[in-house]
Amino acid sequence: MGFSVSGSAAIIFAAMFVGFGMFHSATVNGFETVSDAQEDRTDRTLVQQNTEIEIWSATWDGGAGELTVRANNTGSTELAVDDVDLLADNAYVSGYATSVDGDGATNLWLPQETLAITVTSLDSDPGRVKLVTGPGVSATRTTGVA
Amino acid sequence: MASVSASHLILFIASMVIAASVAGVFTDTVGRLGQAISDQGLDVSENVRTDVEIISDAGSDAVYDSATGNITLHVKNTGSETLPPRADRIDLFVNGVFETDVEATLIGGGDRWRPGDVVRLDIDHPLDSGDHRVKLIVNADEEVFKFRT
Repeated sequence: MGFSVSGSAAIIFAAMFVGFGMFHSATVNGFETVSDAQEDRTDRTLVQQNTEIEIWSATWDGGAGELTVRANNTGSTELAVDDVDLLADNAYVSGYATSVDGDGATNLWLPQETLAITVTSLDSDPGRVKLVTGPGVSATRTTGVA
Repeated sequence: MASVSASHLILFIASMVIAASVAGVFTDTVGRLGQAISDQGLDVSENVRTDVEIISDAGSDAVYDSATGNITLHVKNTGSETLPPRADRIDLFVNGVFETDVEATLIGGGDRWRPGDVVRLDIDHPLDSGDHRVKLIVNADEEVFKFRT
């Protein structure tokens, strides 16, 4: 009788041990995944807070059919040129030429540098432009005619 | 004396069987619970990583086309999660009314809405002139866009 009790107790104990191991690993993995995601969000928010841009000129040249947008990175984060989006009167514009402080090959738009975007695909003056950076910080400006 | 040993043996086997079945049920339940916690962790992490911004120019008259009754919105993925650029994974409310007639187009093509990419939403919803609002929900991330027609 005594051996039955201790044998079954040993089995239950082993099952509890295994169960705890399974539960512990699942909980720790879940917690780590969520805390990684939260850290990532904190970093993104910090980048967003440190990002600021200012469009200081948006000019439509009717003769050349060219829209030129110049914007300054007035924040303190380094932005990527290919993450920048341009909307001309709410129409998404792509396939434009960019240059940062005269350098047309770079993909980095660093603090206090000026990004110049030259769009040749538009037929008429859009009237207003919106520039959106990778972190989502944006600026708008009405266009002037050259 | 032999009958005592036999009854002890029977009781021993019975107690082992019962203990084994209790142990089996216990580990199975804990395994399911662990899987559920793990799944929920992944879901929460996906929600936390998801961040989208409506980047349309609210001041532009081109947000709403009165000739076609079409609202055009541009939505940028500003989070760190790759999302599916499908209208059925994006919930939209126009002036509080759930909208199903939505077409989502990933600008640049493809079937993965990566961080930094933009999706154009064409919503077929005729509007009267006045102030309007569109609410967009992606993976529990809510954005509100207000504009005037």
